[in-house]
Amino acid sequence: MDDRLLLIIAGSIAGICSGLAAVALRLALESVTEWLHPFRQFWWAFLLPAMGALLSTIYLEKITREGAGHGVPEVIYAVSKHGGLLRLRSSYSRLISSFLTIGSGGSAGPEAPVVMSGSAIGSNIAKLLRLNDRQRTTLVGCGTAGAIAGIFNAPLAGLVFSIEVVLGKWEFSNIIPIAIAAVAGAEVSRAIIHEQVLFNHLPFNMGTADILPGICLALFAGLISVFFTKTLNTSGKFAKKNRFSFWMRAIIGGSFVGCIGLFFPVVLGEGYHFIQSMISGTFTMGIFLTFVAVFAKIFATAITLGWGGSGGIFAPCLLIGSLTGIVFHKIVFLLFDNAACASEGAYALLGMTGLISGVMQAPLTGIFLVLEITGGYETILPLIVVSAISSTMSHYIEPASFYFKELIRRGQFLRPGTDARILSDLNISELVSTEFTNVSEHMIFREFIEIIKTSDQFFFPVIDENTGAYKGMIEIRNIRRYVLNPGIYDMVFLNQIMDTGVLTASLENDLQDVLEMMETNNMESIPVVEHDTFIGMISKTRILDLYRRELIMQTSVR
Amino acid sequence: MNYKLLQIFRNTPFGRETFLQSLYFCKTIHAHPVVYIPESDKFLMYFPNDAIQIDLDSSYLTSPKTAKQHASELFDEMGFKPAFFAPRSFTASTLPDIPTNFDYFCCPRSVSDLSSKIGLGHIGPKVRRIIKQAPFPVLLTSPVFKPWKSIAVFFGGSTNARKALQMGLKIAMVSKLPMDIYTLREKKSKGYYENIIKESDLAGPVSQFLREWHYYEKSEFDAMLYDVPHDALIVLGAYGHGVIKDLLFGSKMEKIQSTVTNNLLITGPQCELSLLH
Repeated sequence: MDDRLLLIIAGSIAGICSGLAAVALRLALESVTEWLHPFRQFWWAFLLPAMGALLSTIYLEKITREGAGHGVPEVIYAVSKHGGLLRLRSSYSRLISSFLTIGSGGSAGPEAPVVMSGSAIGSNIAKLLRLNDRQRTTLVGCGTAGAIAGIFNAPLAGLVFSIEVVLGKWEFSNIIPIAIAAVAGAEVSRAIIHEQVLFNHLPFNMGTADILPGICLALFAGLISVFFTKTLNTSGKFAKKNRFSFWMRAIIGGSFVGCIGLFFPVVLGEGYHFIQSMISGTFTMGIFLTFVAVFAKIFATAITLGWGGSGGIFAPCLLIGSLTGIVFHKIVFLLFDNAACASEGAYALLGMTGLISGVMQAPLTGIFLVLEITGGYETILPLIVVSAISSTMSHYIEPASFYFKELIRRGQFLRPGTDARILSDLNISELVSTEFTNVSEHMIFREFIEIIKTSDQFFFPVIDENTGAYKGMIEIRNIRRYVLNPGIYDMVFLNQIMDTGVLTASLENDLQDVLEMMETNNMESIPVVEHDTFIGMISKTRILDLYRRELIMQTSVR
Repeated sequence: MNYKLLQIFRNTPFGRETFLQSLYFCKTIHAHPVVYIPESDKFLMYFPNDAIQIDLDSSYLTSPKTAKQHASELFDEMGFKPAFFAPRSFTASTLPDIPTNFDYFCCPRSVSDLSSKIGLGHIGPKVRRIIKQAPFPVLLTSPVFKPWKSIAVFFGGSTNARKALQMGLKIAMVSKLPMDIYTLREKKSKGYYENIIKESDLAGPVSQFLREWHYYEKSEFDAMLYDVPHDALIVLGAYGHGVIKDLLFGSKMEKIQSTVTNNLLITGPQCELSLLH
């Protein structure tokens, strides 16, 4: 079958499946939230998130045996390093664990789990059809797009998020299948839930007067984004450092979130209900409490995700962004009571875009997501301004987004077409030239001269004639003075003139490490030695040859 | 020869036996053992078309402080320079990626199932998946360290059985140990099997290293297993086609492992082998 047609068909299947997964999670969360609602009034309600986090972490650690977290970095890592290979179990494990976490009141969103689920569905469809890495990566993108489109009823946001954040490359061959998958995911969602937009609202009526406040809000949102990202990372690190067992961590973290929730119910769950009230202009909390709620939600989300809960940061970003927008609007009207600004709801919208763009450093995702979930298309110009400023400011302070930070720290953030990605696709064993004549360490120089005469090698590995172990290296340019002096031909043994200090690489080394070693030490070639055995040489020329070949292959039009 | 065998080290008396067996295997075929001491009870292996998560039991995390020392002592005892593998890539913070570019892999047996089933082995679905996807042969060691003195190849004529035969020959060439072939016939003449070997260009090496070729009727499967010397390394292909598929696919594989106490070297369908390298 034609490659593009195959990807479109497989992509739409991935989109439908991931859309179904997204809808299933959303409906399940709505049901459990409704079921638990009467219990929230009791004093012991703070234990509910603890129970949810405990069940979630036990499920992940003991049943599916996967680590906690939200999963999007895992998807990006799989795409970066392993052509989008994902485990089958990932297609359902995060759905269940995040259902337990969020349903019980944990502060997280259902989007990242469905992204993980959709991506794993796409990956496993590719595995079933025995597709290659490139096709599999596209299907992972399709699964992601279908999931985001399904959970938010936002096909454009699904397409943009998939390409901007997960795949990192706008490529013609990817866009069509991913767009179709996004449409499929959204259609599945619409067919089952019958809604047009996630958050209904009245017209916003934004105008020129809102541009300057919008810019200020973007800067404010950028700062909040950075604080949120740092708090999320710090919480995770702190949780790993303490000595509590995983289930104890979940109970402590969950209880803490539950306690915050007793005073600020806005932090519990995904918080869509509160976002709706903010956009509609019916949010009644005062300026001080709203300001505190911003930080309460940040801490609650950081503790939920860092201490064993499972879920994503999309919904918390939307809620924190809305609160930020509302606080900003209230401050503006406190300072200038006759300001000609748009409504609170409009600023909640701008805040959401600012937070999404700042935390994910994905401006297009921020714009399209907020546009689609609110249907507020008249606000597109301020949204673009806020998104651009917030993501730029966030990037200026914190160069890596929340999703990429850990991968960049580990040196595993490899985007297609980049040096690091191309080098990671080459392995040392395919670069090693093995056609080398070895010489013995006890060979006299005269015999070596005879070998040189008939060889075009510049390097001669010296080995122990009994054990075959690598002893050192003779480089022709370093022994000129001996060659031009026939008087010492019978007086010198090779172990007297070999260089034993030459740096060596092993087959286990990353190519980037090897290149760095060659650069630092000004080497044109480097010997590869494994378990004391000389394997061959790697030269810069050979690396460049294969680099070019790989580059052409990865960037050619398909 | 610069073959490498990956061993997941278990710091227990039982793990010691497994590691000794691996070391003996490496010594006999001139391979280098590389030990991974797990820090978490799970890790991932990315194969070309599958990502397999290996879930170890808690015994693999026993006494982490002494694990390296105990492994080094066993390395020394068998005359190997200690080599340890430290994962550098992580899918998630608790999921190290273990590379799949090793030449042999000593399968951590308890990934197969509960440790109570280890005694004579129970090849669980996870081990099957590794075997199915691995480009390297998988070594399933005997419960206690038992040096092997010959090679027994189970050959039924399929593609994977040919790979197993090739593997057996390769080991025979390096180790200089005698090789026996065991064939469960399915109403086919001996000439049929000999022809397969001729067509595979293996007739020369087979005639050089073969000690004896044993033929059995299908109903004599148990008898064949009892006839294999207890101190032989059994080399067999899994997930083959035709006769070998019937022989080794599914419960037959369990049957072999739960009947014999020998070390097993299993070549899967993705196994890449060459007699020369």
